[in-house]
Amino acid sequence: MSEKYQHLYVVIEHDDGKLVPVSLEMLGEARRLMDGFNKKYKADEKVVAVVLGYNAKKMCDELIFFGADAVIYADSPELLHSRNLVDTKVVSSIAKDRELAGKFADASQFIKPRYMFFAADSIGRHLSSTVLAELESGLASDINKLVVEDLEIRHEHKTKGQAMKYEKTLEMYRPDFSGFLWTTILCLDNRNPAIAREYHPQACSIIPGVFAPIECDTSRRGIVVDYQPTFDERDLRVKIIDRKIVKSAVDFDSHKAIVSFGRGVKDAPEQNIRLVTELGEQLEAEIGISLPISKKPFTVGESISNLYMIPDRVIGTSGRKVEPLLYVAAGISGAMQHIAGMKESGFVVAINPDENSPIKDECDVFIKGRMEEVIPLLLEELRKQKPAIEVKK
Amino acid sequence: MTEHTLNVAVIVKLEPDFTEGNVSYNSDGTLNRAETKSILGPHSAVASNAAFYAKVRYGARVAVTTMGPPIAEQALQQAQLLCNAEELHLYSDRIFAGADTLATAEVLKQGISKLDGGKADIVFSGHRASDGETGQTGPQTAWKLGFTFLGNVIHYDIDLRNRTVRAKRLISLQGFYDVVEEVEAPLPVFIAIDPSYKASFHTVSQRLAFEKYQKEAKGRAQNYKQYLKVFNAQQLGADPKLVGLPGSPTIVYKVERIPKAKASRKADVIDGSDREALRKVASKMYEVLEGMVIK
Repeated sequence: MSEKYQHLYVVIEHDDGKLVPVSLEMLGEARRLMDGFNKKYKADEKVVAVVLGYNAKKMCDELIFFGADAVIYADSPELLHSRNLVDTKVVSSIAKDRELAGKFADASQFIKPRYMFFAADSIGRHLSSTVLAELESGLASDINKLVVEDLEIRHEHKTKGQAMKYEKTLEMYRPDFSGFLWTTILCLDNRNPAIAREYHPQACSIIPGVFAPIECDTSRRGIVVDYQPTFDERDLRVKIIDRKIVKSAVDFDSHKAIVSFGRGVKDAPEQNIRLVTELGEQLEAEIGISLPISKKPFTVGESISNLYMIPDRVIGTSGRKVEPLLYVAAGISGAMQHIAGMKESGFVVAINPDENSPIKDECDVFIKGRMEEVIPLLLEELRKQKPAIEVKK
Repeated sequence: MTEHTLNVAVIVKLEPDFTEGNVSYNSDGTLNRAETKSILGPHSAVASNAAFYAKVRYGARVAVTTMGPPIAEQALQQAQLLCNAEELHLYSDRIFAGADTLATAEVLKQGISKLDGGKADIVFSGHRASDGETGQTGPQTAWKLGFTFLGNVIHYDIDLRNRTVRAKRLISLQGFYDVVEEVEAPLPVFIAIDPSYKASFHTVSQRLAFEKYQKEAKGRAQNYKQYLKVFNAQQLGADPKLVGLPGSPTIVYKVERIPKAKASRKADVIDGSDREALRKVASKMYEVLEGMVIK
């Protein structure tokens, strides 16, 4: 049976045909969510991967093996690299195209997708914003948990204070800036007659590294739909002059150890950050930070601030996920959003004066004490033992 | 009115001051909003610096805009000090309260269409707000304005004769690598500025202009009220159905504490002054890293 709003469209990201990991993670979560949806509502709505590119067709099989029921691909030399303007036009045209939806399901009533996923990264964050501005619907960012529910809503504006049932509503959970709170965002139609309006798709951007892909199943079959995009001159007004692949200034991947610091440096930020970097040097480690540090909460010299208190060093759901052999957390309390970024590390040492900090449950050794006292002693021990290691080598 | 080569607007936001000593957290780790003061957000400050670059390099006319309660004029004043703005816009109305990003973008679009200098050539926004952290309002405003959106911009220059912008963008492809992309686009454009953006002025004349405008900015910011224009919904011509809570597709349904995960490790707790214990930790660290046991 066709409805106005159907299916879950997942906007795929890739670099020249190589799928970015978050694409498969989104498909995995989409698969789990829609399997549950179809069972609960005795429905047959699809997970639809939307992929733009040049020679994009070669990715379609892989997308199906990783959970898509259907793939809509737009192929053009103009889509070789992502450009917000032209991508927004193509993705929103695909989302509104009934004929396309008719290729994989009964779409006689189809207007727009029911749900839509994007990646919460440099590309998807902006693309999701502009696409949803074009589709005039709601968008939640940085999501790390999703549930479909029938909810009874009583809202001053949405329902004019009446209790109303909203079926098949996507609960979109996002951790807040502190990492301690979870906010559930809903995208709801206005049923209040004075402001009546339907808001679909219910869309979100998904934090990379949160959801697991499903296992690749090469026996999975799906429908591949070819979309022929058309462009006018205005759509193509951004020209890419040059593209350089650069190693990011912060390199967590090729270091065996990471030493991170958090708000615990606060009593003497400049001195303590120096101590942390000394420890980092001794262990040949890259330096990481917790999220609050990226908001530059202390006044320190500009060189320290620009080198260390930057978003690129954040470990956690709003930064990087790391798995070093050794992870040292100095003055980090262990907000859930930080833990998510480091829990796969090999051996974890925490330095913290507060034994009730959540980090205690996420480390192998908890050194109780203030970092200004502990790190110098630890450094001394490390330096004493270093010659022994050099000799053994 | 003097003829300006470029007409520039900046969107800023008044945000909680996360600076240590000013920020206050509740015992459960959440932000204590009542005790925390507000300032111009750090990413808004970077956007203001980017606008100041347009003034110094190209003699741009600059307007700073924000949506918020009356107190948000503080953010305008602080931004004016950074970019020597000729015009400050505050979009303030009770009916704007509770807006999500789409409804906020609607207000900003209406406001930016009402600059004294006429249609904007460039609109700047920060990377994202420190409190909301969505990064959506900028691109959504751009789309509503019909401006080309360029995000994560780390450097830009303008070709005044051809009315084009050339910008470098930093794209992180998580799990892969970063890409620095150079693009060219005709004005008008909307630029969301990357946190790592830093304006630099190389020639003597640029440095002189920099100092002149910086000095002028101090004077202007002291008398910011005379540059300030406050618009309510009616003055903006905003459709009440498209702004504030009625115009927001999304709602916050609930806020809860993230449940503490089950302990995934069992920690050995040692005292930070226990030399012997620290000696063992140090040797364990080397063992993990080098795969060697030191006896």
